[in-house]
Parts: sequence; structure tokens; C-alpha cells
Amino acid sequence: MNGKNRSNRARWLWRMAVLGTAAFAGLAVASWAAAGQSGPGTGEGLRVQPVAVTAQAGPRIEITKHKFSRPTLTVPAGTTVTWLNRDEDLHTVVSTTLAFKSAGLETDEAYSYKFAKPGVYEYFCTLHPLMTGKVIVK
Amino acid sequence: MNDDSAYARDAGSPEVSGGDGVDRRGFLQCMAWAGTGLVWTVTGGVLSSRALSPASAAEPALDFSFVQISDTHIGFKGEANKDALGTFEQAIARIKALDPAPSFIVHTGDITHTQKAGAFDTVTEALKGTKAERVFYIPGENDVFADGGKEYLGRFGGPAGTGWQSFDYKGVHFIGLINVLNFKAGGLGNLGQTQLDWLKKDVERLTSSTPVVVFAHVPLWAVYPKWGWVTDDGEQALSYLKRFGSVTVLNGHIHQIMQKVEGNISFHTALSTAFPQPAPGVGEGPGPVKVPAEQLRSVLGLRDVSYVQGKSRLAIVDSTLA
Repeated sequence: MNGKNRSNRARWLWRMAVLGTAAFAGLAVASWAAAGQSGPGTGEGLRVQPVAVTAQAGPRIEITKHKFSRPTLTVPAGTTVTWLNRDEDLHTVVSTTLAFKSAGLETDEAYSYKFAKPGVYEYFCTLHPLMTGKVIVK
Repeated sequence: MNDDSAYARDAGSPEVSGGDGVDRRGFLQCMAWAGTGLVWTVTGGVLSSRALSPASAAEPALDFSFVQISDTHIGFKGEANKDALGTFEQAIARIKALDPAPSFIVHTGDITHTQKAGAFDTVTEALKGTKAERVFYIPGENDVFADGGKEYLGRFGGPAGTGWQSFDYKGVHFIGLINVLNFKAGGLGNLGQTQLDWLKKDVERLTSSTPVVVFAHVPLWAVYPKWGWVTDDGEQALSYLKRFGSVTVLNGHIHQIMQKVEGNISFHTALSTAFPQPAPGVGEGPGPVKVPAEQLRSVLGLRDVSYVQGKSRLAIVDSTLA
């Protein structure tokens, strides 16, 4: 895969997402299945290839300089949260209870997870364990 | 004290000549050269004054060298190096050109960047092309994060499947430790109790005059804990090695040359062949640093380590790809 093209495409798709592109949830799942991505236990986690990014309209957490832009995020149940790696480095987003687990995210790659139930979900980057965050679902 | 038992065991050996009054503290010298031309000398000592160990005395003086290569990050394609495969191949060419050829090669981890299919093969195949007799691997976090080390240990874990290892080569004891498995949220590099127990047992049988070389990915000493450049239980591991007259610790992970001496233990981190990282605390955090294209090869490199038996001298030469 051409990394540069993919990056550019990812940026473009992100702009589209920010502009309020409709949430094609069905499309996202289809893309995921077609791409053969293995989801974690619940099947709700999604290591999003750029094409599926448009489907996620929920809150976004960016990763820059080994930090999560919103280390604590509070959302209502049913919200899909997306992490976008803006770093040069490889990162992951993994729940401390393994409730969700991304694959390795390279630059401009994203991962989304739908938080169905209330609770406090702590997570970290398994490559750089000092990078931690939590999502509070109400 | 650990040393007492070792000494007592040696004293009972018929091969010990003893009584020649050689003060090992006086002649055990470890020297190292950095690529910049910096030279420094360290005088190490042991806790007891004694002759060469029976093993060293019995064997003829044989010299050998080995290469440390680190953080090849096969699969990296970020801005910091658009051709990480090219610089890796350049490092391989440098190894092939070494004369005399290294006896073996030690890879101190982050063999791959993302554990993508074929990445390990790229490195193992390329290193097979060198004249080195063997290649010893130890993983970095990038080699084990995706599957908890399943693929890595399947390939390199050895008969026990644990991956940590030790071997003796011409009187020098080499130990490879793994400190990148089971990272915990908020945690740092760690070895774990099982591996520490193994290490303690592994070195128990050695005489204190045996030169020891330890390699591991994340620095065993506190380079910069704020960025995770430290091994939580590294001190515990080092406590088992304090009785030895010459201990050399070779690490990777931070993609830059740093050295420190503590007692008889000298610590060295190595350059990457893929991309540089910032000096500790410089900038907002660790990660690949983009330097002007013409400077890139001057911040990537590999390391040649020479050992001259009898002289107990370990020479470390870091060279860049420039």
C-alpha cells in the first residue's frame, strides 16, 4: 500500500467526517468485514481503515507526542469514540480489562469503539504504557 | 555475600593456581570508544583479589568480536526515514565488510516496527547473509505488542519458549534478557520474577572474574523514567551482577548512544538503523525525529564490540552509517 496516498486520503476523509458526513454504520461494519480485520471480543471495536473513518461521527481523541488529547472523556452510553494517531510513532489503544483492543495504529490511522454500557473504561498504549486515558460512560 | 561462595568454590578447585598476587582490580580495564572519537577508560574491580578463573587460565588467549544491531524497525515508513529498509541494508553491508568478521551478532530488539507479516523474515534472512556464526535476538515492544509475543517466541523463544537466554563464548558469559513483555498501564519495562529467578540461578555458578555481557531492549538503568526509558526491576537484575569484575550492559530502545558506568558495570545504548529519537527530556516526548536528509545517516548506525581475553578489555566502537 502506498503510505503517502493513504495518509492523504486519511486526512481528506477526516475533513469529510468533521464536516458532518452521515454515519454509515452499516457501511463501516461491511468495510471491516471485507477488510478481514479481526475485532476484539465484543466485535464492536474497529481498527478503522481510512475508508471506514467517515462512518464515525462521535468524539475523537487524537494521539500526539505520546499523549492522548483527551485523557479523560465523558460520554453517554452508546457513543462511539474514535482515536486517531497523529504521531510519527506506532501506538495502540487497549483497555486495561481488554474490553477493547486496537491493532497497531500507524500515522493517521484510527480506531473506534462503541461504548454500549455505563462504566469507567481505562486504557493505555501497550507500546508506551505511560500513555494512559479513560473514558467515563454515563 | 555472593562473592564469598563463588570464591570458596574456586578455592576448592584443583585447577586454581592461586597465590600469584595478581590484583584483578588493578588490571581489569574496560575501554570504550564512541563513534565521535570520545575515548574513556574505566577501571573496574572485583570484591576479592585473585588470579584468573580456572577456565580463563586453561584456555588460550583468543580474541573475538561481535556486532550489536538494534531497532531496525522493519516496516517503518514515517517521515523520519522513508527508506528504513535501505538504511537497514546499509548496516548489513557494513557488517559484511567487517574484517575480521564478527563471531556473532546480537539484535537488541524492535526488529520490526509493526509485526507485519514477513518483517521478521527480512531481518533474519539479511543477517544470515553475514559471515557471523550465529545471531542472537531479544525482542523490543514493537516485536511483541500485537500478539503478546506469540510469533516472536515461536521463532526465537528457544526450547523453553521463554526467549531469555545465556551462553558462554570464549570465556565470556552472555545473557539476553526480555523486558518488553506484559507492559502494564502506567508501567515501565520489566523483567518479572520468573526471569529474575532464572538470572540469579544462571550466574550463580560463575566465578566473579568471568566477564559478563548482558543485552536487553529497554535500558536496564534509569535513562529517563518519565519517557519510560527504564526497567522497573532492572536494579534487582543488576544486584546479581555486582560481584563480577566486568559487566557490560548493551541496550537499544532509545535510538541514541548513551553510556554510564556504575561500579564495575558499564551501560551502553545503541543507535537504531531506522530513525533517531530525541535526547532525554528534549521536546514534548519520545518518538521518531526527522533530521535533514543529509544528516540522517550520521544518526543511524551499529556497534562492534571486541574482546581480548586475558587483557579483560572490552572495546566498544559505535559507527554511524554516514
